[in-house]
Amino acid sequence: MPSGVRSAALRAASIAALLLLWWAGSQLMRAPDVLPGPAAIARTIASDLASTGPEGQSAYFHIGITLARIAITFAASMLVGTAVGLAMGISRTLEGALMAIIPLLLTVPTILMVFLAVMWLGFSEAGGLVAVMTVVAPYVAVNIFEGTRAIDKSLIEMGLTFRASRALLVRKVYLPQLMPYIFSAFRYAFGMTWKVVALAETFGLKYGIGYMFFFWFEQFNMRQVLAWIVIFVILMLVLEHGVFARLESRAFFWRDSAARHSPA
Amino acid sequence: MQHEPPARPPSPSAIAVRNLRKDFLAPGGDRSFTVLDSISLTVDPGEFVSIVGPSGCGKSTLLNILAGIESYEAGCVDVAGHAGKANSQPRIGYVFQTPRLLNWLTVRDNILFVLEAQRIPQPRWDERIAKYLRMVGLAGQERNYPLRLSGGMQQRVAIARALAIEPDILLMDEPFSHLDAITARKMRLDLTEILATARPTILFVTHDLAEAVFLSDRIYMMNTKPARIFKEVIVPIPRPRGPEDSKVLDLEKALVSEFFAAVETKA
Repeated sequence: MPSGVRSAALRAASIAALLLLWWAGSQLMRAPDVLPGPAAIARTIASDLASTGPEGQSAYFHIGITLARIAITFAASMLVGTAVGLAMGISRTLEGALMAIIPLLLTVPTILMVFLAVMWLGFSEAGGLVAVMTVVAPYVAVNIFEGTRAIDKSLIEMGLTFRASRALLVRKVYLPQLMPYIFSAFRYAFGMTWKVVALAETFGLKYGIGYMFFFWFEQFNMRQVLAWIVIFVILMLVLEHGVFARLESRAFFWRDSAARHSPA
Repeated sequence: MQHEPPARPPSPSAIAVRNLRKDFLAPGGDRSFTVLDSISLTVDPGEFVSIVGPSGCGKSTLLNILAGIESYEAGCVDVAGHAGKANSQPRIGYVFQTPRLLNWLTVRDNILFVLEAQRIPQPRWDERIAKYLRMVGLAGQERNYPLRLSGGMQQRVAIARALAIEPDILLMDEPFSHLDAITARKMRLDLTEILATARPTILFVTHDLAEAVFLSDRIYMMNTKPARIFKEVIVPIPRPRGPEDSKVLDLEKALVSEFFAAVETKA
């Protein structure tokens, strides 16, 4: 796939350019406490990973906690959002009722959701879970609901004329048509989840990568704040491109063939 | 004018429709209008019968009623089961205007879908798929995906899919109307060849009189709003036929003028 190689090369080049800009900026400013260079951050990350951090917890402990929170809140949001979206697709009443509420939820700024959840539920894991779910699940529900609307009725009719059972229709006709919507909800929800988890950790929860942002922010240690941001970004990029993108291209390979028409 | 079915040997019909009426709800919801009115027709086992009528006259609705996926208001619809087995449900194959394939499944899995739907025993799947793909000229395309095939080839897969369940009745709804003229012509010729070996009862819907004359044993001509059958024509031309045979062309010409006469007297 030459186009794939080209876009990968382009991506690598633009990341290299960003690092170069960062390096040049830090050289020009000559203020390592305000903008440390990439090399200094890399050294900080290496030493953070090798040693025990503040309060006696290792970096891996915080990373592990954050990943666990992302996994749990993401799974819960996907489950609830998908269930609600399907229910809206099936029931006109539910559609009408929820379509009035969901836009309200979607307009509340994320940071306010986090504050509200923390004020109601305290600095607890439950607060984080509720914050993520109120932000992410409505989005998932809307996406899945749109998927149910886009289902091609003529294919259902085809299945019915051949007397396909409900189970067979779900497996071979409904689900494959919903998959693109489930996947796009999946990816977007994942991006939203880790942002909200980081936010909740920064402003409410004990431990985790976001907690480290705040800890070092309070010490006004720019080097550590940047080090933790880089750790976080790298982790999320690996998950996003290494896992989801691969899954998606696997699930939809049949679409790529659309371009390659052969004559009758 | 009410059409009188001519006397026919008393063999039980594969399809018998008597005084069928179908109403649709008007957009808006409270008023309904009649799309099909006092439709009566019969199709004998193994016969190829066409219904010709203008677009939007309710032909597809009629096929959907026969396929059992659409209800009706009045009348009698009888679709006979497999010959010899009295109470068995008829196997109905359906070829739509567009292929209606499941694009995420291979050609093989598309056919497998209907074999599974019709509960055809698994040991027969491979043989069925190979046989009918060969019959429509698509041997070796089992693992290909529909979107890689041309429109004509996709419609061939749809025909193989309908034939693979070895239907008692094959319903075809303008199956060639979305293809270019040359592909459609080739498909018509191929269909007559295919039907020389696999011979289900066929009810074929079209707005193309030439196509109907070329393919059919008998033709019902239909008017619109509400749709009524105003004429029945037996096609006495021996097979094999060519699409340019003078008998085919002559009958088509005669039917076209009759068609316009009927439509004009209505308007």
